[in-house]
Amino acid sequence: MAHIAPEIFNGLILGAFYAVVAIGLSLIMNLTGTINMAHGSFMTLAGYLAFALIGAGTNYWYALAIAPLIAVVIGILMERTMIRPLYRRDPVYSLLLTFGISLIAEEAFRLIWGPNGVPFSPPKVLSGSISLGFTTFPVYRLFIAGALVVIIIALVIFLQHTRYGLRLRAAVQDREMISALGTNTQLLYMINFGLGILIAGIAGVLAAGMLSLNPQSGNSLLMPAFVTVIVGGMGSLYGAIVGGLLIGLAISLTTLYLPAASEISMYVIMAVVLLVRPRGLFGEEGIFG
Amino acid sequence: MKSIGIWGWVATAILFVLLLLAPQLAPRLHLALTICTDVLLFAIAAMAVNLLLGYTGVLPFGNAAFFGLGAYGAGLSIQNFHVGFITSLAIGTLAGVVGALLIGPFLLRRRGIYFALLMIAFGQVFYFIAYRFTNVTGGEDGMNFTRPALEGFGIHLQDAGFYYAILLIFTLVVAGFWLLVRSPFGRTLVAIKQNEVRARYLGLNTDRFIFVALLISAAIEGLAGACYGLSIMFAYPLLLDWHQSGDIVLMTILGGAGTIFGPLVGAIIYVIGEDILSTALPWWQIPLGALFVACVLGFPKGLLGTALDLLPGRKNRIEPGHDLDFAAPIIADRETTR
Repeated sequence: MAHIAPEIFNGLILGAFYAVVAIGLSLIMNLTGTINMAHGSFMTLAGYLAFALIGAGTNYWYALAIAPLIAVVIGILMERTMIRPLYRRDPVYSLLLTFGISLIAEEAFRLIWGPNGVPFSPPKVLSGSISLGFTTFPVYRLFIAGALVVIIIALVIFLQHTRYGLRLRAAVQDREMISALGTNTQLLYMINFGLGILIAGIAGVLAAGMLSLNPQSGNSLLMPAFVTVIVGGMGSLYGAIVGGLLIGLAISLTTLYLPAASEISMYVIMAVVLLVRPRGLFGEEGIFG
Repeated sequence: MKSIGIWGWVATAILFVLLLLAPQLAPRLHLALTICTDVLLFAIAAMAVNLLLGYTGVLPFGNAAFFGLGAYGAGLSIQNFHVGFITSLAIGTLAGVVGALLIGPFLLRRRGIYFALLMIAFGQVFYFIAYRFTNVTGGEDGMNFTRPALEGFGIHLQDAGFYYAILLIFTLVVAGFWLLVRSPFGRTLVAIKQNEVRARYLGLNTDRFIFVALLISAAIEGLAGACYGLSIMFAYPLLLDWHQSGDIVLMTILGGAGTIFGPLVGAIIYVIGEDILSTALPWWQIPLGALFVACVLGFPKGLLGTALDLLPGRKNRIEPGHDLDFAAPIIADRETTR
């Protein structure tokens, strides 16, 4: 038991990362029909920006706050200039556009920060381990777990209990109606895209200290996040959370017992879920409840 | 769809004369003959994407799964059973079909962006399998094999011989594709692309049509992958990766989805461009990504599609993607998912 407990906890943290990335992806996907293939690039970007800021003498906490915001500014610029003209076109175009951007970003990271990744260590306060009685655990992972829980709770409150969240869910259901009722939908799309990038950016900085920071690090979280969106039910907030944790656990436990099947395990879950529930666990897409 | 007319036939004839002369012309243009072979291979691969994207209206971003399965199918059958040239291609083609049979039933439940998302996810399964099952596939290092002799003749096709073999396959695929999209089946696919809900109300089992289209596409993709495997005599996991899918979809869009020769045009530009740029620039992914962006924003109908639009009386061409309200695929998905 003692050796499974940390793996379960690690799996849940990994799953929380998938959940957060998946929520950002499906926010953008459900409102605007854009499959954002560059989502992972924004995570990597925020990670590298935080690395550069800390390298320039900023402390970790400011870097954690500033780096995702810079990513958001870049993301919003991209949304306004390049993705917006594609909203009325077939989804293939925005998918290809963001895929192209992710290629450019990956190569740019490689040119600026090298191909092998950079060391990104958490601050002193968060280093070291803590004893939990039956096992010891790195403090930074506990911090990440706490931070991800806070992000998820904040998102739930924001989407379900604020006027903006209400407008956003309404816009997913009927864009024209909410526009006719006086909501600036173009602004809504922009804020929505920015929100998706913001949580991806924060997750990117957090992940940099736990997983690794290299040109592909964000993209490696993207595929499990896609699977999470499918398993949880596209457009379901709680589905993304449950799906993410489930997949995180599955990957973590299969890595322990059957390493060769670690990635395959999430596809097995996806296939089973789709057979039983074609719309995913909590599936009723477009509602975001 | 209109008949292509006399000038269309003339252009097609000129094109095939140029393709026949390529082994003579390529050296004068400082192109390796393998590049010409690659152009044809990827043109076949892009035609498989074109059938789904340009004529059926579903996005096969994940088609590299079938492409890679073709390469592995050919490679594994050569390595383990010492089969001949044509048999290995047939097995590669079959491998693509089997892949589609496995994931197709999952994909068919959804349409629009959900289909695309499912295909991205399921397409990656085979990548991880090839990557992880090291004792069968060689894992990350890939697997080497030799190009087998042609059955009945005992000759090993090389250089120009291999190019002409691929050109023959390309010609057969183009002819088959041309007949297919003009057949009642092909016309039904276009009807499904334009309005699937209406096609269902007309009594068509659209799931079955899309499934058959997916199987045909996977067969073509597997064939292209098998040819590629025989061309480089190597199969490796990245052939199954979504980046490979992205490249093939880009070729299709670049040339013009929904046109017969668009994929060839796209493959010519992509393969030759990659060859020149990747030797000249270590960071060639940046111009490649920029090509995606430029193509999507500047030439959404592709080069050939845009050029054909400029010809008089060609306004009724099939669009590469329906310029509907983006909610339409979502609504169509709600209507078609049971």
